[in-house]
Amino acid sequence: MRRPILAALLATAPAGAFAQGGPLTLAMHYNQEQAAPLLACLDIYEDETGQAAEYRQISYGDYLQTVLTGRIGGTQPDIYHLYSIWGAQMAENGVLAEPPEEVADFVRETYGETAEAATIDGTLYGVPTEVSVYMLVSNMALLREAGYDSPPATWEELREVADAITTRNDQGRIETAGFAFADSAAGSVHPFYALLASRGGEVYSDGFSEANLDSPEAAAAVRDMAGLVEDGITDKSVDGFDFPAGGIGMIVMANWMKSSIQEGLGSLDDVAVTPIPAGEGWRTLSYAFFMGVDSQSERQDDAWALVRWLNSDASADESGVSCMGRVLSGIGALTANASDNAAMGEADAFTQPFLDALAEGRATGQPNVMQAAEIEGMMAEAIDTVLAGDAEAEAALEDLDGRVEDILFEFY
Amino acid sequence: MRRRGAPARPGGSAPYWFLAPVFLFTGAFLVLPLGFSVWLAFTRWNPLSEPRWVGTRQFEFLLTRDDAFWGTLGNTFVFAGALVVIGVPLALGLAFVFSRARGKAAWRAIYYLPQITSFVAIAYIWQFVLDDRYGLANRLLGLAGLRGFDWLSDPTMAMVSIVLVMVWYDVGRNMVVFSAAIEGVPKDLYEAAELDGAGAWLQFSRITVPIIRPAVVFVTVTSFIGGMGFFALILAMTKGGPRGATEVTALYLYEMAFQDLRMGRASAGALILFAIIAVLTVLQFRLLRERRG
Repeated sequence: MRRPILAALLATAPAGAFAQGGPLTLAMHYNQEQAAPLLACLDIYEDETGQAAEYRQISYGDYLQTVLTGRIGGTQPDIYHLYSIWGAQMAENGVLAEPPEEVADFVRETYGETAEAATIDGTLYGVPTEVSVYMLVSNMALLREAGYDSPPATWEELREVADAITTRNDQGRIETAGFAFADSAAGSVHPFYALLASRGGEVYSDGFSEANLDSPEAAAAVRDMAGLVEDGITDKSVDGFDFPAGGIGMIVMANWMKSSIQEGLGSLDDVAVTPIPAGEGWRTLSYAFFMGVDSQSERQDDAWALVRWLNSDASADESGVSCMGRVLSGIGALTANASDNAAMGEADAFTQPFLDALAEGRATGQPNVMQAAEIEGMMAEAIDTVLAGDAEAEAALEDLDGRVEDILFEFY
Repeated sequence: MRRRGAPARPGGSAPYWFLAPVFLFTGAFLVLPLGFSVWLAFTRWNPLSEPRWVGTRQFEFLLTRDDAFWGTLGNTFVFAGALVVIGVPLALGLAFVFSRARGKAAWRAIYYLPQITSFVAIAYIWQFVLDDRYGLANRLLGLAGLRGFDWLSDPTMAMVSIVLVMVWYDVGRNMVVFSAAIEGVPKDLYEAAELDGAGAWLQFSRITVPIIRPAVVFVTVTSFIGGMGFFALILAMTKGGPRGATEVTALYLYEMAFQDLRMGRASAGALILFAIIAVLTVLQFRLLRERRG
């Protein structure tokens, strides 16, 4: 199965392109252990095609700065692995190459709506890889201890259940938190996106010409979040990333926390993954990474051939899962690759609800807007201000809306 | 070939050749980057594209529209001011006490230890100590029946925590400077003062401080300059939070340049910060020299 496809892929490459120059470079944020299946694949690829490829690990937090510095110095990788919100800036500045038509067709046929994560202003720039979806994750042992057998389905129920779980120590500090936000910019912003989408709100107008952060839906979403702090259910000293330690009842979190939860709690048997508690019309947030090729790479065709090989049946093992599918499966991450998902079959009870959310179209993609990281930093600060009780939701969001529109005005 | 009667030029061009490496190093690593930074301040540039000339727009934005920039300047003054007000007298006091203590070399070495420790390690250790829920500080206060403080999650306490940790980090370095100065004070002055019945405080305030005033000026000015441009510990400990309470200007500009990719605006901000530090440093020197006069 693999070799005929590989032969076809090779036929699409320019004659003699392979084996020219040094190895291709592929920069990703996965550590050596996580990337082990990928490294093995690169060896196979070299054996089969003569084209060597080097893996360059760059930590997630330093990824963008490192590749940009590398680009100034002429040491940029041939292949990037990008968080989708970085894509707009890179595409706007001509850093990313457009894929050949056959790769674009492959993405559209294989990745469904997730292809949007690698699409900026209607142009596709790569192959989606790791997909993350936000859901309500509950420690059922704590819920049962508080007298509840199932996770909440609405925000009001969540407040009630979380209140029953919360305990305080002799110093009056939260010991067991009913709910927690993760201590990062995304920790409050991503649940906000999910609640906003569930209320039918959108962060931006079409074309990103305006922000809708001063909308009633946005204010209601932030008030929902702030209500948990007002009730004493959580505060900023409680970090949602401590969920695996067992002292937190519920978090709105992405699937990539699976392995650390399993490690921390010993198993996933007592962990429930359920929809965002916003009633029947719940929606959530998804984001993705994608593999793209540098526009200054002298071997773009070779690079695209490798990208496609890694993500297609051509690199599948006996299980029928592609190389990137095996990497993602190994770290408990999701893929939107239909072929890989079919080959992997039914997921476990933890992962299946995340996949269902994607399959049912419940997940709204994180907007690929210019200066997305800067904007989300502002959003996090505004939401935190409301959570701390330093400002009303409406006032904080109106101020935020103005500042975000200043940025949008620069680019749209 | 020297003209008859002309004064001799000792060494001819030799001194310049010896100085050439310094000139080259200064040119490559100071003048060029500084010049590039000044030029960038008048452009709009992310490292992905060509810089675009925008005149003084970046300065206008920072000074007239960016409230966060002004907020960070306020935080910077609080941080640098607190370092001087708390750190310098503390270092001076410790240096004076240790100059008369047994095993003074050991004490100085102990207080200097933080200086040879990584900022990141220091930040992690203090995060563990100051964690609101699990930290050692609040656990100890809990034993005394107290609630403790929200060391890192309350805006005011976060700034207090950062200043205290920075003072702890810096006090050893300043103490060594003061110790060296104090060792240079003639011992017979103290002996004469003792004969006249002067106690330790009088000896410190009337003999030690006036004689080591150059060291005090040096430590005060360098602590202030260091504090105005410092952000590494803050980045590792609080990332400027909570809600921007510990976001000093240098950290704000670092994030602006390397996270938001606004190199031009960050360069403009750096020039503004440089101008403020330069003016205040000159004022400090004048003020402290006048007092000496």
